[in-house]
Amino acid sequence: MSAVTAAPPGNKPGSKDAKPGKKVSERQRPLWLLTPGGLLMTLIILIPLLLALWISLIDLDQYTLRRWVEAPFIGIGNYVESFEAGLPKSIWLSVSFAVLSTAVTVPIGIAAALVTQNAYRGRALVRAVFLIPYVLPSFVVASVWRTMLQPDGIVNETLGLGSTLWLSGPNSYWTLVLVEIWAAWPFIYLMALAALQSVDNEVHEASAVDGANWWAKLTRVILPYLRGPVLLACLLATLNHINNFTLPFVLFGAPAPDDVNVMPMLVYVTSFQGLRFGLSAAMAVISLILIAIPLYAYLRAVRLDVDK
Amino acid sequence: MTAQAEAQRLLPRPLLVTITVLLCAMVLVPLAYIVLASLNSDVGVASGEFWPSSFTGESYSKIWTTADLSTGIVNSLIVCAATAVASALLGTSTAYVLVRYSFLGRLTILRGLVGLQSIPGTLMLLPVFVLFSSAGNYLGLTVIGTRWGLFVAYLTFALPFSTWVMVTYLRGLPRELEEAARTDGASTLVVLWRIVIPLSLPAIVVSGIFAFLLGWNDVLFASVLTRPETHTAAVALQIFGSAQEGGALPVYSQMMAAALICAAPVVILYLLFQRYLVGGLTAGGVK
Repeated sequence: MSAVTAAPPGNKPGSKDAKPGKKVSERQRPLWLLTPGGLLMTLIILIPLLLALWISLIDLDQYTLRRWVEAPFIGIGNYVESFEAGLPKSIWLSVSFAVLSTAVTVPIGIAAALVTQNAYRGRALVRAVFLIPYVLPSFVVASVWRTMLQPDGIVNETLGLGSTLWLSGPNSYWTLVLVEIWAAWPFIYLMALAALQSVDNEVHEASAVDGANWWAKLTRVILPYLRGPVLLACLLATLNHINNFTLPFVLFGAPAPDDVNVMPMLVYVTSFQGLRFGLSAAMAVISLILIAIPLYAYLRAVRLDVDK
Repeated sequence: MTAQAEAQRLLPRPLLVTITVLLCAMVLVPLAYIVLASLNSDVGVASGEFWPSSFTGESYSKIWTTADLSTGIVNSLIVCAATAVASALLGTSTAYVLVRYSFLGRLTILRGLVGLQSIPGTLMLLPVFVLFSSAGNYLGLTVIGTRWGLFVAYLTFALPFSTWVMVTYLRGLPRELEEAARTDGASTLVVLWRIVIPLSLPAIVVSGIFAFLLGWNDVLFASVLTRPETHTAAVALQIFGSAQEGGALPVYSQMMAAALICAAPVVILYLLFQRYLVGGLTAGGVK
């Protein structure tokens, strides 16, 4: 319990205050409790993030890394260069991959939630099965699909496709999308199921009394309830797709084939294989700007506070 | 079927059955192949068998010498357990203050906690790498390639996440007990230790498990910040997988066995804590 015992002595709120209730805690805010967590987060998150901004403005590579404090300041030079170093294509790949994956997983996820809403024998088992792709670690999913999609692997064998290349060339993009869909739809399912379970029983009864057929009930009554939560899930899922490094990295290796050189791969290869740290920091900052739009929308939608 | 259940029906039965079967097949067919292939011989898998001509567990015993999996698993367990404990404890005390007290900058911190979960890992790794390597250059301290370096790197995403999980839990906890204790003269530490922590123990465990899983599932940080002796399970599997394409006889069966072994701790954790973890998933909204 280092976090708790690290407190300075002599801070005993209750002993001095006779007044009960909220006012005691209001006046005697034990903000020192924030110190261990806050200090650590400043040290390992805030400072590195600011440093990343700084690195994007200096010419940092394997030669200057040893003495990076003295690396030359080149302003927006890295940003200009990143647009010539394949960034626009990566942005396009990342965005289309993310949007496509989200668009396909939403109907699958909602359908899965609908079929497990009503109780029946064996439902618990079906629900557990639906969670499997989600529970499996990304690197495991990528490793097994990589094995199955080898030219002499089981997928080509079963589908009779000869030795189609899934892991290089133009097909690789679709491999990435399909494996991501396979792994990511249960997230939408979970969010949709949670929303579905919060629909009041009266709503069901009312539409039964009205004699609505299942399609009318589904599209006019039930789905509107899902809109908010599913939209939120979409935002988050899209962000996760854009930031997904593990899947392309383990599926295709680094450097990735041209058609799957998504943003995280580009940044990774530029920094840790090309050793152009300044350039890749600029790319990473641009990718942050890219996700800022859905992230902003998500932050506005998510419930931050106790009262609101 | 009761009247209530009848009213709650969403889909006609044939459609329900079709969708359920399709989705289950989508998940279970590849999974069945993975399990079957891991129980096959390498030769059997290479010849394209779906159903093994003879079942054998030898892939599970061979894999320990073929790939450096045991080192990876031990390293992963050590680093991720440390990450889990540290972020659950620090996250709880931080979240408690964030939920119970108002102060300047509180909303900014809350937004930051949520926002940090969507920051690209590469953006975080880059400065961490530069800082770690300069610790070597300027201070003569080796950080890159050590387990505790990886531990610190994992805290960068595990700590905000655990804190956020605790925030979502603690704000649902009624204040009355704490206030009663305070009226009786209990200090903040006593309130935290005797009331808040016991009441939120399940959530603390969940936030720790999430931190553990974040570390266990990571490839990005581990692939840069470790050397062969400090490899994590994920990196060991990734290297083993990419070594398959050298042209030698592929050992796909061992590959599948290794993948299942790496997935086992995660699956076990989910089976043990399914109810809490699934609740946490939708509350925190992040994997």
